[in-house]
Amino acid sequence: MKRDKKITQLAKKLVELSKDAQGVVTEAGVGEVIAGLKRVVQRNHLLVLKAYLSYLRREIALQTAVVSTPGSLSPDALQAISAKYTALYGRPVSAEVKIDPSLIAGVRVRVGDDVYDASVSGRLQRLAENVH
Amino acid sequence: MKAIFITLLTALLLPLGLVAADDATSASHLEEKMHVVAEHTSPDVAHAEKSPHQEGGVVTEIAGKFGVTWATLIAQMINFCLVALALYYLAVKPIAATLDERQQKIADGLQYAEEMKTQLAEAERERAEKVKQAAIDAQKILTEAREQSKEMIESRTQEAAAQAEAIIRKASEATELERQKMLSDVRQEVARLVVATSSKVLSRDLSDVEKSSFSESAAKELANADS
Repeated sequence: MKRDKKITQLAKKLVELSKDAQGVVTEAGVGEVIAGLKRVVQRNHLLVLKAYLSYLRREIALQTAVVSTPGSLSPDALQAISAKYTALYGRPVSAEVKIDPSLIAGVRVRVGDDVYDASVSGRLQRLAENVH
Repeated sequence: MKAIFITLLTALLLPLGLVAADDATSASHLEEKMHVVAEHTSPDVAHAEKSPHQEGGVVTEIAGKFGVTWATLIAQMINFCLVALALYYLAVKPIAATLDERQQKIADGLQYAEEMKTQLAEAERERAEKVKQAAIDAQKILTEAREQSKEMIESRTQEAAAQAEAIIRKASEATELERQKMLSDVRQEVARLVVATSSKVLSRDLSDVEKSSFSESAAKELANADS
């Protein structure tokens, strides 16, 4: 279904209202927006909520560095990764660990649509792709 | 023809007429006058003038000896004229006309034959010229055909050689591409097998400590990498 332009603009404004002073989407901000939506009677409230959820997920993905690893990582390593991508993208980026045994060893970081691979399986895959 | 007939008729009638007139007048009147004149002139002249009388008498004498009388002669002359006229109008004239017509036809035939001979010679000359021209044209066409066939053969030969060369080149390129593709497939398959084997070996042989250590190292590598 094609979204209405007004609904899209409203959803983007709601996402902006969900951020705190540092520009990070917080749970409190989202709660306030939901509470506000409950008080205001919207004609297309379901479409607005769906658009808001979609843009909220995109924003959270841009603010989250998903660190895939076969085992556990030290907090220092996560902090270093978070600091690295916060500086790189110019916005607060938090690190989140995701266990992935298929990587064998190493880490793979995904921020939004960008992927940074330093895993053994990734290196082996690139090695195979470079052999022609 | 007509003139010849008239001339012949005149030649036959005139001597007889002259002889008859001469005999008739000399026999009756001139004999007495000549005797009178002879008496008044010399004997020589009289002797000289007696000779014609004597010649006319000879003719009369001869005619008498042959039994020719003047009446019969005149009747025969009239009959002869009538027969001659009848023959002229009934026989000679148509024959002359037929002969003239025949002569005209012969002359026309000869003229026509002459014209035909001239036309035949002209036609023969034109035929010879046409045959000569045709021979020249045929030779020219034959020469052109030979040149064209030679050019066509050369062109076809070159075209066939070019096509053969192109086919060989394409076949060689296709063979090379096939070989390259086969080598690439082999390399990729080998790489895939190596990667799969390596992944299994590393997954099985690396300990958790080694994996954690490698992961920490990789995280630091990413954190310290230049963007």
